[in-house]
Amino acid sequence: MELTKDVTLVPEVSQDKLIDLYRQMWVIRFFDEKVDEFFAKGMIHGTTHLAVGQEASAAGACALLDNEDKITSTHRGHGHCIAKGATADRMMAELFGRTTGYCKGKGGSMHIADLDIGNLGANGIVAGGIPLAVGSALTAKMKGLDYVTVCFFGDGATNEGSFHEAVNLASIWDLPVIFVCENNLYGMSGNVNEMTNVKHIADRAAAYGIPGVVADGNDIVDMMNKSHDAIERARSGEGPTLIEAKTYRWKGHSKSDAKKYRTREEENEWKAKDPIKRYREVLIEAGILTEEKAEEIRKSAKKEIEDAVEFAENSPMPTVDDLLTDVYA
Amino acid sequence: MAKEVFMPKLSSTMEEGTLLEWFKEEGDSVEVGEPLFEIMTDKINIEVESYEEGVLLKRYYDVDAEIPVNAVIGYVGEEGENVPENPPEAGADNGEGAEEETARSEADASADEVQDGTGDDKVRATPAARRIAREANVNLASVQGSGPKGRRHEHDVKNVLDSTKATPLADKIAADQGVDLSAVEGSGPHGKVRKDDVLQHTTHAAAQSVPADDVERIKLKGLRKAVADKMVQSTTEIPHVTLTSEIDMTHVIDVRKTLLPIIEKQTGYRVSYTEILMKAVSQLMDAHPRVNASLDGNEIVLNKSVNIGLAVAVEDGLIVPSVKDADKKGLAQLTKVSKTLGQKARDNKLTPDEMAGSTFSISNLGMYAIDGFTPIINPPETAILGVGRIVEKPVVIDGEIEVRPIMTLSLSFDHRAIDGAPAAAFLTDLKERLENPYGLLI
Amino acid sequence: MREITYSEAVREALSQEMRKNDDVYILGEDIGVYGGAFGVTRGMIEEFGPDRIRNTPISEAGIAGAAVGSALTGMRPIVELQFSDFITIAMDQMANQAAKIRYMYGGKGHVPMVLRTPSGSGTGAAAQHSQSLEAWVAHIPGLKVVQPSTGYDAKGLLKAAIDDDNPVIFYEHKTLYGTKSDVPEEQYSIPLGQAAIKREGTDVTIVAYAVMVPRALEAAKELEKEGISVEVVDPRTLVPLDKETIVKSVSKTGRVVVAHEAVKRGGYGGEIASMIAESDAFDFLDAPIKRLGGAESPIPYNPELEKAHVPQVPDLIQAVKETLNKA
Repeated sequence: MELTKDVTLVPEVSQDKLIDLYRQMWVIRFFDEKVDEFFAKGMIHGTTHLAVGQEASAAGACALLDNEDKITSTHRGHGHCIAKGATADRMMAELFGRTTGYCKGKGGSMHIADLDIGNLGANGIVAGGIPLAVGSALTAKMKGLDYVTVCFFGDGATNEGSFHEAVNLASIWDLPVIFVCENNLYGMSGNVNEMTNVKHIADRAAAYGIPGVVADGNDIVDMMNKSHDAIERARSGEGPTLIEAKTYRWKGHSKSDAKKYRTREEENEWKAKDPIKRYREVLIEAGILTEEKAEEIRKSAKKEIEDAVEFAENSPMPTVDDLLTDVYA
Repeated sequence: MAKEVFMPKLSSTMEEGTLLEWFKEEGDSVEVGEPLFEIMTDKINIEVESYEEGVLLKRYYDVDAEIPVNAVIGYVGEEGENVPENPPEAGADNGEGAEEETARSEADASADEVQDGTGDDKVRATPAARRIAREANVNLASVQGSGPKGRRHEHDVKNVLDSTKATPLADKIAADQGVDLSAVEGSGPHGKVRKDDVLQHTTHAAAQSVPADDVERIKLKGLRKAVADKMVQSTTEIPHVTLTSEIDMTHVIDVRKTLLPIIEKQTGYRVSYTEILMKAVSQLMDAHPRVNASLDGNEIVLNKSVNIGLAVAVEDGLIVPSVKDADKKGLAQLTKVSKTLGQKARDNKLTPDEMAGSTFSISNLGMYAIDGFTPIINPPETAILGVGRIVEKPVVIDGEIEVRPIMTLSLSFDHRAIDGAPAAAFLTDLKERLENPYGLLI
Repeated sequence: MREITYSEAVREALSQEMRKNDDVYILGEDIGVYGGAFGVTRGMIEEFGPDRIRNTPISEAGIAGAAVGSALTGMRPIVELQFSDFITIAMDQMANQAAKIRYMYGGKGHVPMVLRTPSGSGTGAAAQHSQSLEAWVAHIPGLKVVQPSTGYDAKGLLKAAIDDDNPVIFYEHKTLYGTKSDVPEEQYSIPLGQAAIKREGTDVTIVAYAVMVPRALEAAKELEKEGISVEVVDPRTLVPLDKETIVKSVSKTGRVVVAHEAVKRGGYGGEIASMIAESDAFDFLDAPIKRLGGAESPIPYNPELEKAHVPQVPDLIQAVKETLNKA
């Protein structure tokens, strides 16, 4: 895929927001890189799925959402969380299993949620969150509320029955939901070209009578523009849109992945399309950012993650007494 | 391998023994033949010696426990050997087991095989049955199960409990002493009345009236206790009547004088009046079978053997060894046997067999300044002869006053088995025989 | 009092709550003008309209998930699954999403939804439309499980289930839909986790739910003629389970038969039996706990075989007698 050359910056997004999105992408990157390091050192247990390289799709799809809008996320969801407004300190605390974490240490990497800022939660079940997003959109419609729900999932999820059932429901009921498929080419080790026989995941939208749009998932500006149109459509009651964000995960599927299913060349090719680097060039070219300012932002993002680690490490562990709390409301 | 220590069966009538004392602590070493513990049977208290050498590994029961014969009460083995935490169930060779087996085979003929498969140490019982048995200290093995494969249910245990609100011993003592069990507060599980509860109840009033520091209290235990129980049983169960008769001992004294050196030379023992009385009494038994009888429930058992019980005073107690077949023994043999048994009694070395089976007893207090007394029958015998001292008394013979050696005999008899006249006839015959002792030679 | 059928009682509970609370709506297949597979929602679309009587495509996973998502965002959805066997298709949404969301999120959010579904055999619908899979859902912490045996219980328990802030699986028994009972017209609630002693007795306790309750009562009536006094305890909800009432009853009688229609192996009766064995009632047990459940086969089509699959009244009588050593 070619780099998007002549991007038009989304008119509704302020310069401050554009700069903040640059910071946000670095926070996403540094967060996952730090998590990667901690797992390697054995400082965090369990498993995790990193979205290094996919920062633009998360940040871009959420750039135009406000607090009332909702998202549903996936097992590879740290970026979505940060993009929807979660803070790195409470996320890191969650991965450390501390009571100050978003889920008091009970959810971990795959279940971070913050209903107060419209994050309906990450999900450990592939495609598990898609019907939830439809339900959320159904609430908006039935209650006459104005919010939209952005539903993140991967290319692999589109082969799950839940995806088809949920997209169909959203379509027949004209629900305000934006389906964002982050096609990073692999469902674990399964190459999307081997697992589906459509050129674009977006083509599947036709089966449900909704628009299917392909976006450059490594170009935050393109992501914002495509999302903008879908959000407009949803808010005006015209129903859902399927956006396919073509992107790539730089790391393996989860913490123990030898990545034998792909080549080093392919990885390097995609690293050349680094979404953060590209966005920086766009901002500098547009005169919104200077090299110095960009570097300053990068450093502050790094500091934010270091602070988050400190916060997490100094937070209390839950006690065994907490084991049986919150099973039932 | 550790060996079981059993509650010995010391007589044919013994069903359980009461543990009086352990002589060894758990962990003490034990030699073969060394006294291990002391028990009281229905007859006597006795020290039980170890058959094994080793270490006393386990004691399952405490003092005062009433333990069925053949029950495992402990283990002797090598130090550190493992033994069961709880006593294994008693062997299956008792009457109850056989009865249960019969009942079960009627109920479920195919069950025996399965029952056997579970092993002897497993008892089938429901949790409810186990709980009640545990609380009331009932041995489930002794409860007959009404369920499949002999499973004990709650009501099976309750049936047993209803029939035993008091321990068997407490029941007996209460009956003996005319104590109303319902008035006795039980200290056992579920208020089960134990023997101590009955005894405490009976002595309660007396104990209260005497200031505690003015008295010394000696606990009834061991032989003292056995004697006490036996006396209570005898006096409460048996309607005693005592007849007395004065015997002119002139000729008996002559006979003894003549025979004394002969018998002493032959046996090394000095013949005493007791043996002569024994000889005289046993010769009369053919003619007076009721005197040589036992009372067994509603039956009078006429004994063919004549075994004379000889009351022997020992330290703080009374023991009655039995001279077997006294009617078939000559005076020399009677002397030897009597003296030997007397010594063994004082040395506490009598075997259970030597204490069992007497059919008539003689109690001789002639060495004291006693003329006559009312001896207490040694159940299940029906009569006992009390012997007083020989004292010179003036007697009228053919119209003239003469001084003669006189001895008073007191015959107590069980009026349930014997009436006054036949008892009087026996005592008269005995007087006749002693006053003309040459009849002894016939 | 007024007598209505079990299915009328369910409909009345739904309608009364929907009149009061706009957040409550029903979604499911053919629940609109068709009135639902068993006619429970008949007439409701006319009163409440297609938004709230929301006819869905045949997408059990989708509609269950949509219900979870809408519950999480403020609605109180009621899903109707045509047959409880179909929970297999909705299972990810119920077991992995609905049940766990609150816990996974550290106590944030709740999922106040009810999944109503007809269970049980006896209709000749064969292996894929006759199962009783309640043990599956009862196993999942986070779900509640209700099994009413009468119209009266169904109405009160359904109100409680809708009011509950947790996902509730609400089983309705197909062969009970037509049974009549006294049901008050006004709304009332029966707390989840409260068993009912359907009949008092002294000799043996039968713990039974759903269709096994009327069968247990019939067995008790027969056994009474032979002088055997049977207590019938209906837990009504499997999760939460009213352990206290069961334990108390078994402690009193010392004997217990646990009966359900679901396959005995791995059935919820095993849970009830174990609970009893672990409880204070253990020391009062005077016979082995007896379990009755479905045969270890799929439900057959042939009516005689179908009947033989599931415990019937004579089986209950036999089981009670076995606990009394009178069989």
